[in-house]
Parts: sequence; C-alpha cells; structure tokens
Amino acid sequence: MTDLSTITFGSNTDPYNKAAERGWDITDASQLTSSLELEADVVIVGTGAGGGTAAETLSKAGLSVILLEAGPLKTSSQFDMQERAAYRDLYQEGTGRGTKDGGMVILQGRSVGGSTTVNWTTSFRTPPETLKFWGEHMGVSGCSGEEMAPYFAHMEERLNIHKWPQAPNNNNAMLQRGAEQLGYPWATIHRNVRGCLNLGYCGLGCPVDAKQSMLVTTIPGALDNKAKLVHRARVVRILREGDVVKGVEAEALTPDVRGTTGQKIRVRATRTILAGGAINTPAVLLRSDAPDPHGRIGKRTFLHPATLTMAIYEELIDPYYGAPQSIYSDHFQWQNIHTGPIGFKLEVPPLQPAFAAGFYGAAGEQITDSMDKLNHTQCMVALMRDGFHEESQGGAVEINDKGQPALDYPINGYLLDGVRRAYNAMLEMQFATGAKSARPAHKQAKHYMSWKEAKAAVAELDVAAHKATIGSAHVMGGCPMGDDPKQSVANCDGKFHQLDNLYIMDGSLFPTSIGANPQLSIYGLVYKLSTTLLAQFHA
Amino acid sequence: MQTDRRDFLKLSMAGAAALSTMSAGATLSGCTSSGPASGMKLLRPEDVELLRALTPAVMKGKIAPGDTAGIDQTLQSFDTLMVDLSEPVVAGVRQAFDVLSFGLTRGLTTGQWSAWSKASLEDAESALARLRDSSIGLLNAIYAAVTRLIISAWYLIPENAATTGYPGPPKKVAGVVPAVAPAEEATP
Repeated sequence: MTDLSTITFGSNTDPYNKAAERGWDITDASQLTSSLELEADVVIVGTGAGGGTAAETLSKAGLSVILLEAGPLKTSSQFDMQERAAYRDLYQEGTGRGTKDGGMVILQGRSVGGSTTVNWTTSFRTPPETLKFWGEHMGVSGCSGEEMAPYFAHMEERLNIHKWPQAPNNNNAMLQRGAEQLGYPWATIHRNVRGCLNLGYCGLGCPVDAKQSMLVTTIPGALDNKAKLVHRARVVRILREGDVVKGVEAEALTPDVRGTTGQKIRVRATRTILAGGAINTPAVLLRSDAPDPHGRIGKRTFLHPATLTMAIYEELIDPYYGAPQSIYSDHFQWQNIHTGPIGFKLEVPPLQPAFAAGFYGAAGEQITDSMDKLNHTQCMVALMRDGFHEESQGGAVEINDKGQPALDYPINGYLLDGVRRAYNAMLEMQFATGAKSARPAHKQAKHYMSWKEAKAAVAELDVAAHKATIGSAHVMGGCPMGDDPKQSVANCDGKFHQLDNLYIMDGSLFPTSIGANPQLSIYGLVYKLSTTLLAQFHA
Repeated sequence: MQTDRRDFLKLSMAGAAALSTMSAGATLSGCTSSGPASGMKLLRPEDVELLRALTPAVMKGKIAPGDTAGIDQTLQSFDTLMVDLSEPVVAGVRQAFDVLSFGLTRGLTTGQWSAWSKASLEDAESALARLRDSSIGLLNAIYAAVTRLIISAWYLIPENAATTGYPGPPKKVAGVVPAVAPAEEATP
C-alpha cells in the first residue's frame, strides 16, 4: 500500500456537528450539578449494537426513548487515529480489561456506539449451524435461519452491509493465498461501510464516518425521532416494585469516566431494556439482586478465545493499513458442531504498533527485533467457537464488593488443545506462502525458520494458560435466552423470566458463542426482539 | 498423567495463594509506600525503582541500561497509561508490583535478593526469564502484565512506533473535504 501518512482529509462528516440544528437531546451527565429525574416509555441501558438497534426501532414507532451510556460521546471530529487516545477513550478499562486471573485480555468498546464504534466492521449473519444448535440443544424457539432471515436482511440494508469490493490488503491476502495453497475454502468478508477510504483505522474510531456503526446510524436516527441520550451515566441498578421493573438508577461519571461526580440519574420507564454487553448486563442484574432461582445470571459467558501467529515476509505487508478484515476461512470451524475438538475461524487482525506489540508475550530482543519488522509482518488469528461442547462451559461474570464486574473464565485443556491446533494450522499457512520466519503468540516461543522447525517446536511448547497469549474481542452469553427458565435468563422475546417489564437485548442473550464475529447477530436478533416488543405497546 | 497434572495444579494454586498472601502482607506491613513518586501521577517510588531495572531488559535493542532519557520517557508514558486504565486494573498491576518489590517475594520469585536499584541488565533478564518460565501461572501472569505495559508504554510514543516501519496515520485537517475519492465508489 502507499504510505497513508502523507494523506490529509477533513473532518466534516461528523453528524454530531449539527446536533443543535437537528434538535438532538443529548446530556453529558458529567456536567450535571443536581440529580436528574426522567420519564419515558422505554429506557435503554447501553448504546452498542443492541441498544442502538432497539432505540431506533422503538423511537421510530413514536415511543419516547431514553438511552443511557456509561462511556463518553466521542465522535469523528475527535478520532485522530492515534492509538493512545483511542484506547483511553473508546475501550472498556482503557483496553486493560481481562479475565479474572489475567489469562485473557478482553477488548470491548465503551463510548456512544459501544463496540460498534471500534470494531473492524466484519459482518456475518449468525451461522445456520449455530441457530440449528440453539433450536435443538439450547431450548431456543423462533430463531431458525428462515425465521431470522428477514431481520438480518433489514439490518444489512440499514447498515449498508455488503461484500467488500476491493482487493484485500496484504495482511488479508496472505490468508487467502495460504488457504489456496493448502486447498482450504476461503471467502470475502461483508462489511458495514459506506464510502470507506480503505485506511485501516476502524479499531481507533472511523475518522470519516464511513463505518456504519451505531454512532452514525441508529443513534442519530433515534435522536431524530426525539430520543434522549445521556452519556457518562453508569447504570447501577434496576428500580423495582415487587416483581415489576420501573426503570433504572444511574450515577454520573467524571469527564474521564474513571470516577463518579456524586450526581444521580433516575429514569422511570414502562419498559426497561438492558443492552450493556455480556459483561455489564449480567453485572447490572447482579448489582440489583435480581431473582435468579436457578443460578443462571452471568454463567456460560463466552469469548471466542483467540490466539495468533506472526510471520515475517520478504515483501512489504503494511499490516496497519487497509480494511482490517476482508478474508476469512472456516476450514477448521464446523467439522463437529458439539462432539469433537473445538472449532475455529481464521481471520487476520490489523497491526497498529502498540496493539501488535502486545501479541508476542515476548521481551528483550525477541520483541524489539520482531517489531523492527512490523511493516513486513503478517498476523493470523484463530477465534475458537466456545460453548458447544460439554467441556466448553465458558466463564462466569461476578461482581466484587464495589459492584465492579469481573469474568472468571478458566482456560482448560479442551481450549488449550484448540490453541495448539490453531498454531499449527496458521503457521503452516504462513510458511506455505513464503514466510521467512513465523512464531506463535506464546511467551516461550521464538521465530522459527521453516514449517518443519515450527511444527517440531509447537509439539514441545508448554501450551498452558498464562503462557499462550489468548485474547477476546467478542463477549457473548451470560443471560441466555430460552424457553425453559431453569436453563435460561430471558425468554425468546428477550423478556427477563423472573420480573415484568424488563428485557435484555444484546449479545448476552446468546446461549453459546456465535462462531463468527457477532455484530450482525446482535443487530438481527435485537431488531426482531424490539419489533416484537413494539407490538406489545400497540396491543 | 492425569494425577500428576492435578497434583501439579494444586501445587500451583498453593504457590499462587502463598504469593497473594505475601503480597497482601507486604502492603499491610507498610513495606510499600502509598503516595506517587516525584513527577508521577500513579507510579510509586518502589514501582519506579523496579521499572528502571526492568525497562532496559524488556526493551533491549531500544534502551540501553545507561539511557536515562529513554528510561524516563518510557516511565512517564507508563504512568500516563496507568491513569488511562481502570481502578481494578491498576489495583491488579500494583499487586504484581508488590510481589516483585517486597524483599522476600522479590527474591523467591525473581532470584533478585538485593534491591532493584542494584540489579544489572543480566539480573533483570534473568528475573524476567524466571517469571516467564515458572510453572506457577500467577508468575507467568505477572510477567505478561509488566512486560506488556512496558512495551505498550514505549510503542505508544509516536516516534518509537515509527521504528517499526510504520509511517503513521493519515493527517486530519479541520473542515477540509476528503482528499481521497471514496474507495468503493471508485471500484465497482
């Protein structure tokens, strides 16, 4: 690719520059000098894929909607493609979020738009294998591929989701070439973009609003429909009268969203929708002491645990530039849905330097020599499909005495077997495409010079929790939907089984992981659930 | 094999529990100070001493042991990074620092029995290797957290990121129309 650092462009695409003109009702809770009491038909906690979709659907029908977001409102005028500011402003815990024992790093968004503001635009409908498994094994009804199709189609249209028409960047092209060399199927990824400049900075906030995230689509849509947005407001608990939920109570956060100002926001609403994502939604329920007779809240939380290999090529890769994800392979994904070793999807991540430097688990010259060749580095990632096999029960969301959530996700032998198989699969593809050297993301590994050497070394590696680098950008489950209250937290309309007027509309509803990047799965499901909820208002 | 592995896990857990207890002991007995070091927002004096010793080992090839300016710049960046993390994450990092700073746990876990200010580059490298290669998961996790933060702190500085061959991001100019034609429209 050409050197993009020489390119200049403007910041005149930001829809929030015209907020006053469009009559948008936006409150920055950090600036409140007294407590705030609000009322609405619907209060929605969270503005990511679930909250944004629900807000637009419900406000369009004339319902009054209030959106509460713990993160700040940051928009394209402020997105400067610098790593430090993006990680600080747009991610949960400044990208420091991890599982309880530190075994996995968790990337999740935390600003208006949630993770859709920082995701890499990869859009898959929920795979048919997954929907079938939910219907046959997880007590889910009404979500077959056929039943879901119109909802996916609607959201694909809304978010301009289409097959990426340009050539993949070199990072993705190597995945395609590797698959071709070894006879694996591969395909081009669909992306939610409009007027994409192919820059590669999706993960740091799209600087030109080409990414059709919630920040620039459904939330402006809802604001046009007179919805109210309150940001820097962290929901502490739901408000209840007996078995009926009456709204939520939130606390105002400081401008840096690291502390509280002492002001409270209380929203009374006919319906309450939790859409804070699969860590924060169960955490709100746990902080609220919501009834949980079968001990399901926060359990079976899934991550698509991901591991990586990095290869150095003679040719330039420039892995930080260009659409981050455009090619994938499911060759290792669906062999056995729930009876065999864990399956994994192959993709590539973008490699902005500080982000990439965290993959290696190495120190000293092992890391600095590798990073010196970042512009010649290609990286593969394997996303493991957790939650299908009985040995893959995922993790549990807990809260500490301050109400802060943590995810306890033990890394077991079943998962680690997948890590080792993924190392082999990815290293073989890299050497098959002419890599000069390649290494897995493992603290005791090094760059190997041939596939033969790498294969022998991987067989000997101590693939253990804390030694293998494992991370996640997809948090799912913890409040699974299902018809049986003993096995699920919400019914298949998203209604919380144990209380009235409380709904869950985000990725925490998934009874297993998705087996694909989850954003479109959330959009489609929540569009279905919010349409169903709307019918109740009109009944 | 199964039995061996279970016993091993129990041992690891026991080791991890002992270390957390000792780390709590270090904090409670006042072996670690509470206020930030001079010029720092969150890093405490003993954190600075530890990081001064470890940084040239972690960033070998980029920072020599005598490169005070390089070390200072990395520590300032590290301190800013700490401010940008969340309270629970900072608490976890501090526990890791406590294990590595408090005399008894420092010696047991890293082999560094004298103060970090007396450690050579080789001592720091050997300490890191012990943490990395330990069979106790908690020590591997401490290694991962401390090295990842030092490495991130260094590469988050734009001129350092440029050493990777990364030319940097495009430049945004206020109010100017996009200079590049939208790619999708250009390619059917």
